[in-house]
Amino acid sequence: MRNRLALVGLMVLVMVASMVAVGIAAEYVPGSPLKAGFIYIGPIGDYGWSHAHDVARKAVLEQFPWLSTVYVESVPEGDAGPTIDKLINDEHCNVIFTTSFGYMDDTIAAAKKHPDVIFAHCSGFKRAPNVATYMADFYQVYYLNGLMAGALTKTGKVGYVGAFPIPEVKRHIGAFTRGVREVNPDAQVDVRWIMEWFNPAAAKEATEALIADGCDAFAFTEDSPTVVQVAGENGLLSFAHYSPMYRFSKDYCVSGELVHWDAIYADFLAKIYAGVYTAHNLANVDYWWLLGQGAVEMGAQPGMPINPAYVDKLKAVTVDDPVLGTVSVYDLIQDRIAEMSDPSMVFDPYDGPVKDRKGNVQVKAGSRMSVLQLTTMEWAVEGIIGPWPGEP
Amino acid sequence: MGWETWIIATLSRTLAYGTPLLIATLGEIFAERAGVLNLGVEGMMIMGAYSGFVIAYTTGHPWLGILVAGVVGAVFSIIHAFVSVTLKANQVVSGLALTMLGLGLAGVLGRGWEGLPLFTPIHKMTVPVLSSIPVLGPILFKGQNLVVYLTMLLVPVLWYVLFRTRIGISIRAVGESPATADSLGVNVTRIRYLCVIFGGFLAGVAGGYLSVAYRPSWTQGMTGGMGWIVIALTIFAFWNPIYGLLGSYLFAALYHLSFRLQAWVSPELLKAMPYLFAILVLIFVAQGTLKKKMGAPAALSVPYTRGEE
Repeated sequence: MRNRLALVGLMVLVMVASMVAVGIAAEYVPGSPLKAGFIYIGPIGDYGWSHAHDVARKAVLEQFPWLSTVYVESVPEGDAGPTIDKLINDEHCNVIFTTSFGYMDDTIAAAKKHPDVIFAHCSGFKRAPNVATYMADFYQVYYLNGLMAGALTKTGKVGYVGAFPIPEVKRHIGAFTRGVREVNPDAQVDVRWIMEWFNPAAAKEATEALIADGCDAFAFTEDSPTVVQVAGENGLLSFAHYSPMYRFSKDYCVSGELVHWDAIYADFLAKIYAGVYTAHNLANVDYWWLLGQGAVEMGAQPGMPINPAYVDKLKAVTVDDPVLGTVSVYDLIQDRIAEMSDPSMVFDPYDGPVKDRKGNVQVKAGSRMSVLQLTTMEWAVEGIIGPWPGEP
Repeated sequence: MGWETWIIATLSRTLAYGTPLLIATLGEIFAERAGVLNLGVEGMMIMGAYSGFVIAYTTGHPWLGILVAGVVGAVFSIIHAFVSVTLKANQVVSGLALTMLGLGLAGVLGRGWEGLPLFTPIHKMTVPVLSSIPVLGPILFKGQNLVVYLTMLLVPVLWYVLFRTRIGISIRAVGESPATADSLGVNVTRIRYLCVIFGGFLAGVAGGYLSVAYRPSWTQGMTGGMGWIVIALTIFAFWNPIYGLLGSYLFAALYHLSFRLQAWVSPELLKAMPYLFAILVLIFVAQGTLKKKMGAPAALSVPYTRGEE
């Protein structure tokens, strides 16, 4: 009985203490030491999404002497709210990064509860005075990889292993296919879905299924190096995704996409430190960062845009471009990188006319897709074969 | 693309993906035959996957990696044996704890090991002459590794041990009626310990196969729920190594086809197919009388205390 009383007493004490803690969370004073909390959906050992965010966290930690950080990994979507509370009340974080789409509503709710704390939510579309959004998107780089795949495929069938059939992945497959068909108008991109972000065995069997169906080059959107490994084991080409994967298949991994979340984190945190961003002026702050801002990079290893073993092969294949004339694929890639990195974005992979695979014109000649259209895209670009759940 | 290439691709993938399932299932069959339900397969597998990769990576010897993976799985399983046999605690809770502990521990220890390719994996091999047999050659003798064959050989050996030797009789007696076995002079505790540890060894080897042969690298959580499939397959196999082989290969074939058939059937439906199949079988097996007839150990998950019963 006495024990139970003591327990109740302790619980009351904890509750009072936590209320007091909520009360003392004060607004960040620019120029003072700053503490940032990161919430990850997966384990940092996934070598994919969460791993990349954590690499960026360490990079900015090293860059800014006034910064300290704390992170929580493998937080299920439903647990974001309590985790945020803990980071604010116990860890006294001034800034919270929620790094998964599924944390969106919890982030907005927590931002209302803690109006003095600054939040940034990754890959979502809801903002508030103290919630910014950010995303480093790959569709331009997928397009560049597609140009290479189109030039190098011998069977005319390129395989793609997708995680979930959501707009982000569909946009990537579409851009990749645009690249493939620009060089190789008859080539097809065959898609298999594994319905998980991370499952090496599923990714392996999906790749094997595509190999059995005659594909000889592979790209993917899921969180492991499996596709690169399996393609390499079979002597087939691959394009890496997210993390440096060149070393998993040095002879066959042609290029890929690399992310630099630290570019966004550094910019955002520096502006908070300088007092540019506060808990009151973020309602219109949306980082949609691409090649031009250095948030993404082409290559399977930093500093190596194209595997040297394939440079000559890409120089040997030529295409007729209405603007550039007859150019080698290698030169076309260099031109496109320059065009897409240019602040005025002279070129976009989805520049019209673009047809979907049912023959409907989705983007009219002379027009371009808006960010909103890109982030809600459900249709399949012409040249994609295979299943497409949610196809309009 | 003719039917031949379909059969070849499907069956050869079946062997590659079915092998880790089969190895771990054989181990779990022994543990359960002795009356100990071990839900810690996932935890033992991931510990095996981690340690196997680390050893293979640092020494360059993949077979040493597989061996160490087995030993680590075995040592890890002693926790479950101690808790469930010696302390006679709830086996379900203890097994679940083992799975959670394994996933967590491997995750922490594995920091910094992710993203490294293994340059010395167990290689695929092509058996000369035999691989040129039409259809059968490419399925059985091309692109498989030695573990696949060794596992196939292990099946009849373990079946023989379980059903045709004195040790096998003791194991099954301990799982059916530990009191009777005890009165006949069988050391129940020792048999249960040995079977759990043997199961742990094979679960560890299965994990090692994943990180050293199947997909040679380490990633946190890389077993991806295979340990739970193994629990279902053990029941599906009616606790018999031969059926264990059939069940593992059937599941693997469905798994491969779930990607192959996506061009015609919705991927969501196909994704559920192998699991749906497992659930149906479990419902079927769970029918009381059938369960008895099919060989479910009567004392499964019941701790044994001398003099009670």
